[in-house]
Amino acid sequence: MIRRNQNSIMNKHFNIPATRSTPEIIADWDAGLVSMAGDSYPENSFEFFTSTIEWIKTYLAEAQRPLHLELRLIYLNTSSVKAMMDIFDMLEEAHARGRAVSVDWLYDPQNERVEMLAEEFREDCSFRFDITAEA
Amino acid sequence: MNDTDFFGLRELITRHRILLCFNGPISRSLIEEIGNALKNYLQADQARPSAVMDVFATYIEMTQNIRHYAMRHGYGETESSATIVVAREAEQSAYLVQAGNIVELADAQTLVARVGELAGLDKATLKAAYKEQLRRPREEGSSSGANLGLIDIARRSTRPLSAQFMPLSDGKALFSLQAVI
Repeated sequence: MIRRNQNSIMNKHFNIPATRSTPEIIADWDAGLVSMAGDSYPENSFEFFTSTIEWIKTYLAEAQRPLHLELRLIYLNTSSVKAMMDIFDMLEEAHARGRAVSVDWLYDPQNERVEMLAEEFREDCSFRFDITAEA
Repeated sequence: MNDTDFFGLRELITRHRILLCFNGPISRSLIEEIGNALKNYLQADQARPSAVMDVFATYIEMTQNIRHYAMRHGYGETESSATIVVAREAEQSAYLVQAGNIVELADAQTLVARVGELAGLDKATLKAAYKEQLRRPREEGSSSGANLGLIDIARRSTRPLSAQFMPLSDGKALFSLQAVI
């Protein structure tokens, strides 16, 4: 069954440009790729991440292809950390159902805090989650 | 302000090695602007990237907690005022971040008790508390967000957090939280 509701058309591909307090987010349906880059400390992170969370939910439900996240996130406030945890939980659930999901987190080796943040997320994930220093 | 007070204020700021101080109603955009200035000061002060991030994160969690609290209580402009100080410690390469705001007296007492609990925990216990708090469901209008912020600040601090309050006349109090990074 092909569902063509307004929501899934809207969510096929989106690009949220970065602001000082929010990261750039690009979601590419055909490539099965979500990339996020920059700082994230909006006052209402839950609201900010809603469209991305909905997109991932729809993709995991409708597409049968792998999903890959490429992250160059730097500083996250605690409410953004909570939103990212929700995203990783969805990936973990999909992985448990046999879906191919993976995360690449790239960080500047000058700042070990980013590596620590990524590692704390990885502790709760059993899918492929690579953390790589990027000069 | 007369000239004597003005010079006295300047002397106080210099003596306490204050990089940045602010007092007044704080908006979302003001938090960003001041935060940006803070990052620039810290980088100019040759702070390590991890220290810049820890001080910045502490500043963000403190100010966003103040904003969320004031909004939740429907506070007006005067009650939503925040006092923020970021200073460099004299001897060591440490930074002090202190923020104060008006809260309900009962909340001030709860907060001081909560900060006291966190101050007694080591890093591993704080990490466990952070992860536990992160896994709690979001509650509309609750203080659960602030709890996560406090634990985050405690984890980034090199010394135990300290908090105080000063009762005001109308069932409110001036609350102050201090972290050393």
